[in-house]
Parts: sequence; structure tokens; C-alpha cells
Amino acid sequence: MGQLLASSADGIVVAAILAVAAMGFTLQFGLTNVINLSFGAVMTIGGFTAYLANVAHLNAWLGMLLGGVAGAVATVALGRGVLRLYARRRTQLFEMMMVTLGMGLVIDYGLQAISQNAIYGYTVLRGAPLRMGPIAVTPIEVGIIVMALVILVAAEAALKFTKLGKALRATAVEPSLARSCGIQTGRVVLITWTVSGFLCGIAGVVYIISTQSVDYSTGELFLPLVIAAAILGGVGSIRGAVVASLVMGLVTEIVAGYGGAAYSTVAGFAILVVVLLVRPGSVSGGAEDRQLVL
Amino acid sequence: MNAWGFYVATLLIYFGVDLLSGISLNLQFGYAGVVNFGYVVFQAVGAYAAAVVVLGPSGGVASFQQYVFGARLAFPLDLLVAAAAGGLVSLAIGMFSLRRMRRDYQAVVLLIVSLIAIQLVSADVPLFNGANGLTGVGWPLGQLLGISATSSPWIYAAWVLAICAAVFVGVTWLSRSPWGRSLRAMRDNEAAASAMGLNITALRLQVFVLGGAIAGLSGGLLVEYIGAWSPGAWGYAETFVIFTAIFVGGVGNYRGVVIGVLLVPVIFLEIPRFLPAIGYPGLIDSLQWVAIGLAWMLCLLFRPQGILPEKRLRVGRPVGPPETAVAPAEGAI
Amino acid sequence: MSTPLPATATGPDPVLVARDVVVSYGGVHAVDQVSVNISPGGIIGIIGPNGAGKSSFLGALGGQVKRSGGVITLSGQDISSLLPHQRARLGLARTFQTTSEFGRMTVFENLVTAAEGDRGASLKSVVLHPRRTKMREHAAAEHAWEVLRRFEMERTANHYGRELSGGQRRLVEIMRCLMRSPKVLLLDEPMVGVAPHLTHKLVDDLRAIGRDGLGILIVEHALEVVRQLCDQVVVMALGKVIASGSFEEVVQDATVQAAYLS
Repeated sequence: MGQLLASSADGIVVAAILAVAAMGFTLQFGLTNVINLSFGAVMTIGGFTAYLANVAHLNAWLGMLLGGVAGAVATVALGRGVLRLYARRRTQLFEMMMVTLGMGLVIDYGLQAISQNAIYGYTVLRGAPLRMGPIAVTPIEVGIIVMALVILVAAEAALKFTKLGKALRATAVEPSLARSCGIQTGRVVLITWTVSGFLCGIAGVVYIISTQSVDYSTGELFLPLVIAAAILGGVGSIRGAVVASLVMGLVTEIVAGYGGAAYSTVAGFAILVVVLLVRPGSVSGGAEDRQLVL
Repeated sequence: MNAWGFYVATLLIYFGVDLLSGISLNLQFGYAGVVNFGYVVFQAVGAYAAAVVVLGPSGGVASFQQYVFGARLAFPLDLLVAAAAGGLVSLAIGMFSLRRMRRDYQAVVLLIVSLIAIQLVSADVPLFNGANGLTGVGWPLGQLLGISATSSPWIYAAWVLAICAAVFVGVTWLSRSPWGRSLRAMRDNEAAASAMGLNITALRLQVFVLGGAIAGLSGGLLVEYIGAWSPGAWGYAETFVIFTAIFVGGVGNYRGVVIGVLLVPVIFLEIPRFLPAIGYPGLIDSLQWVAIGLAWMLCLLFRPQGILPEKRLRVGRPVGPPETAVAPAEGAI
Repeated sequence: MSTPLPATATGPDPVLVARDVVVSYGGVHAVDQVSVNISPGGIIGIIGPNGAGKSSFLGALGGQVKRSGGVITLSGQDISSLLPHQRARLGLARTFQTTSEFGRMTVFENLVTAAEGDRGASLKSVVLHPRRTKMREHAAAEHAWEVLRRFEMERTANHYGRELSGGQRRLVEIMRCLMRSPKVLLLDEPMVGVAPHLTHKLVDDLRAIGRDGLGILIVEHALEVVRQLCDQVVVMALGKVIASGSFEEVVQDATVQAAYLS
């Protein structure tokens, strides 16, 4: 029982990290309909930015903020600068994903080249773990959970109540209709990229706080889990992404607690496979007719 | 045999193995529209199957490597087992992962499934000897002829290329057949193909299993040359290199695939070996991957169909009796 | 309770019978107990305002859309639970709202692929029965040329699907359907994508196909096309059939006028 509680607590921490990334991913995915495989690379950029901020003796929280900004800048540059080129040539959704894959490779291995393939430690914001019975969480981990919840609430509220949020939802559902209603879809996409990129950068920083190190492959290893969580939660659903992250986080850590770390990621992915088996329509349901929105 | 000769022979062997991969992926993606990002798993399975049926019975927990089954099969059973293993695992995975879904989703699902498989294998010691892998794999055909792969690499290379030629001819023939046309119909418009009487689920599974069998075969050929098998050696990155080769060489054109595989995995990835070492060790490797990524992107931007695009099948009007030879009406829709 | 079935003008038994078909999406009935009979040689048109459920009904007949209730029979055989390709093999053919030609195959290949269909193109027959396959391929090629000649499209034989104009694509779709000598042809807004000045040619072609003895069901917005082509017209609104009869009868029906205006 104690093991279960401890693992569950760990699971919630993992879920929070995953949720921040998944929310950023699904925001982008829900609007543009592109599975952006360079998302992991941008997370790594965020992580490295925070690392460099740390080296420059800047406050750790400021470093996190800068990481988010770096993520936003990178995402917008890639989306506006690169993807736009392909959109003009009427590239299809699948090819767009391939393009983002190429982008991811360029960034990842560019970072590897620049960082000389070294692993850099990042041990900021670690505090002594608080203990409550079998559960042990550090203050920063609690902070991350709070952060995830705040982002969830803020995002949901923004989508529901702000004019921009409504414009986003309209564009996501029926872009041509939204355009004819006077919504400037280009601006909506730009802002979505900025916010999503910011969350991506933050997620990268949060991730390396947890793993205490950063190297070129940081985001690349985490990306499949993020995509799985976003797909499981339903395209574009912030709430869904959080719920999916929670389920995956808990399963991953509980399996790790009982069966060993080797099987934990397998368990996390296996959820997607189980859903595929049991309810195949729900994985891609409704996504068939979506068009590219850039 | 000098080092240079050995190097070229090895290069040819890798070329052959990569060509088989290219043919398999081109069949699945170029013709049928199935994005098999998990390709490497089937290759690894084939290699493993070939390894265990060549190594002999497992010594169990006490010996230095343990695995399942284990036999000492003669040629050609080793390669047949490798292909069968690739095909069977493809069938198992295909049955639940291949559904009617958007191509990019399909790619992600297959990628994730392959990640699961790789992780599982690395973790499980009794089944697959865990992260250590297997060593000491021989070459049954060579044993028949009294030679080993490492002592006669040119013969092994010729052997691999012969198999490549056979597979090339076979797959090209299949792709031009009515079955191949059904695949392309499925690729171009699945709903219409289905409404036309084609059993899409069966077609997808067939092409997946056939591609998986070829993957298994290529794995078997590889492991019998290298003599060793380890889970860590099979990363999903290699699949992207082959995809790059297909995009560069020509999607849906097997001769284009030959060019692509020659250009990308062989020539391009081998060039750095001859460049003066610049920067720190490993810099060139990183830059190579950056270049692959750029090649991807440039290819998709400027010439997505590749160097040799899919060949258009032209038909002429049949020669027959004049009948009511009327010129086609102008202005017909 | 379904509304009365449209009376068929001629004697032969209906080849496609749809009775009380229901399609619901999460509680909303997109198709609410719709019944239609299609006779060989008969051309039935389905019209109605947007959102009436016409395309969903067609989808239910073709098997692309899951039906929640009702029975569909083809030549007396219950096809209600069959998959699209199984229905196609029994003699059902359909076109799609957005033309569904195979873009990266030539027009000729489009047609030949349709003819060989299931049996000739299976992996088993290709590998195990090469001679039989070759013969089928020849027969299919002959048939393809016949159909191309009939529709005066021989010049486009080597064009890729995506290189064609909208009207040509629609023709390829229809020609493809005919390659299988279907019993019933379902057309989903066939005039979409066809230049207005060319629709009369398409109407003539469809009328000729009807004379061959096929039963045709056509969902269409262009009322003029429906007037020229259809023996019977069924009007749908909000998932239900609100009127049926000849075009003139239906157009003068008060409920129909109200549905279009609302």
C-alpha cells in the first residue's frame, strides 16, 4: 500500500510534467492539424536556454521564463518561416509532419554539434523532499503540479471566455467559415504558436529540472509520450490532454514501482495500444476531414 | 585481403541490406500508402530469429547467453525463418495497428508500437538476453561451402546482392500486377477503393506482412555477416535514413530506390570517413544528421517525387477493325 | 412510422429496398426512418435543404455510414450489416460528393482496377493463377476501352486522375462504377465540380445509363437536373421524408416549399 501511494505521488509529478507539454502540443495540433514532430526539439531549446541562464547566474525562475520565451520564438520562427513555405506548395498534412520531422532532426543534431554531445547537469531548484508517510515530493515538484493546474485553468478560461479563445475554437472547427466571419485566422495561428511554443519551452525546463540534466536528446526522448497523451486526450482538447497525462503518469510510475523502471515507458505507451484495440475510432475519430490551417 | 577490399565488400553488403529495406518500405509507402515508421522492429526480429536458429540450443540461465528456441538449422531454413519471423510479427502488429486512419496518425502509431517493442526487448533478459544481445552467429550457407562471412566478404556480398536482385524482380512484378494496382487505388482514395469492391483491411495487412517478411530477410542477412545481435543496435533513426533514400531516389519507383539507397546510406554517410577530421570527434556525425534532416526538407519542398518518379503506365489504342470509327466529339467533357 | 413509399412507375421488382433506415449521431437523428425503393431502370432523385440528411442516407446505403436502424436489401438479400466492399461485390456502386478518382493512376488504370476488383486482383490469384489473371486483365482492358469509347474519353486514357478537369473526373468516377456492371448506382451530388455548361452532357449520359437497366439514386441540389432526369423525387428535411412523387407534384407541395424557405 505504501508503495502504491508513493508511486502514485510520483505518477502525479510525472503527469504534471507531461501535462504541460501535452497541453502545448494539443493546442497547436488542434488548430493547425499538423503533428509537429519538432516539438521535442523545441523543448530541448527551452531546456538549454534555462541551462545557459543558470550558467549566467540568473535566477532559476527567470531562467524558466526565458526557456518559455525561447520556445515561443523558435516555434513561431519554424511555423511562419519554414512551414509556410510548404503550405504555399499545397503540401498535405502527412507531408507536413514529415517536414517537421526533418526540422526536428536539424535542430536536435545541430544542438548535438553545438553542445559537443555532452550532457550538462541542471540541479537548480532542488530542495529537500517533504515526506508524508510513504510519499516523498520535493517543493519544486509540488510547484510543477501547481503550475500545470494553473495552466489548465487559465487555458480553459481563455478558450471559453476571451474573444481570442472563441476565435481559436471557431477556426479549429471550420477555418473557412471562421475566415468569412471576419476572423483573422493568420493572427489566431500566430498567437497559438506563441502560446504553444511558450508552453513547450516551459515544459522543457520543467523536464530537465526533474531529470537534473540536459543534452541534445532531452526532448526527443520525451516527445512520443507527449504525442501519445495528446492523441489519447483528443485532438485540441486541453482537458483531455491533462486527463490522459494523469492516466499515463500514474500507470508509468506504478508499473515502475512494482515492476522496475525498464517496463515503465512500455506501460505508458501500452495505454495507447489498448485504446487502439478497444476503441479504434476514438483515436483518430473525426480527424479524417480536417484540413491544414497555417 | 587488404583493408580496402574488406571495406568495399562490407559497404556492398550494407548497400544490399539497405536496398532490401528500401524495397520493402517503397512497397508499403510508395505503392500502398502505409507509413511503416516501425520498420526496424521487423528487421530486428528477423535478425534475432536467424541468430537463434543458427546458434544452437540455448544453454539456459547458466550459460553466458540465453534466448528462446535455438536450433542449428542449415541453409536455407535460417533465412526462411528470418523472413517468416518478420512476416508473423508484422501480422500480429498489423492486426491491431493498421486501421483506417489518417496517414500521419498511422505513422505515429507504428512508431510508438516499435518503441514499445524495442523497450520490451531491452528489458527482458531470459527471452532475448536483455541488453547484451547475442554473439557468435554463423553463416549456414558458408558452413556448407566451408567458408565464413568474415574471411570471404566478397562472396557474402555477391550472395546478398543476388538475393536483392531476386527480391527486386519479384516485388516489381507484384507491384505491376493487378494486386499492385489495388494497392495504389487504396493509397489514392481508400473510400472509393472500398466502394469499388476492394477489401482494404486485407490489402493493407498483406502488404504489411510481405514488407515485414522482406525486413526479416534483410535482418537475417545482416546478422549472419556481423555475427552479433543486440537490441541497442536497432534504433528507429535508421528507418528515417531509408525513408530519406526513398524520397530522394523516387517514391513508387524501385529503380529510384536503388539510386536513393546508393546516394544516402552508402555514399553520403560514408563520405565523412574520407574527410579530414574537423572539430571535436563526433562533430561530423552530428552534421551528417543535420544534413539528412535538410535533405528531407529540401526534397519535400522542391522534388517530393524524387529523382525517378513513379512511372506512368501508358496504353495505346488497340488495333482492330475500323467499326464505327468516329473522331472523338470536340467539346466532350 | 415511415411515410408511404414512392410508387414505382414500372412493373419489375425493386432492386434496392431501404426500409425505415435510421442514422443517428450522438442522439441526433440525421436520418429518421427513411424508406426508398429503387427499380431497375428507374431514376430516383433525393432533394432537400442543407442538413436534411441526404448524404448520410446515401452513406447508410453504401455502407460508409453506420446505420442505427432499418433494413437495406439488394436483390432481396439483406445487406444492412455488410461492409462497403461486400456491398460493391453484390452489385452496388456509388460516387462521392468530392470526386474520388485515383489521382496518381491513369484513367485507364482507374477503369481496369475497377473491373478486376476483388477476384482478379487478389494476391492469391496473382501468384497462383497467373494465366487466369492475365486473361482477366485482357478482358478488363477491352471493357475499359469500350467504356472510354462510349463516353468519348479515349484521349484521356493516359492522363493521371489529378490532371483532369472537374467534369472529366466525375465521368471517370461514373465510368469506374459502370466497369463492374452494377445493379444500382448511387450518385452523391454528381454535378459538383462540373462546369455548368457541361452538366447537360452529364445528364444525357446518366439518362443513357438508366436506359441500360440500372437503378439509379441521385442526391442533387440542382433542381433543374432533377427535373430532367428523375422519374420519382423524394424530398427530405431534417432527416425525414416529407414528400415523394413526380417532380411537378413535389415542387407544388406546400410542405416542401415551406421546408426550403425555412
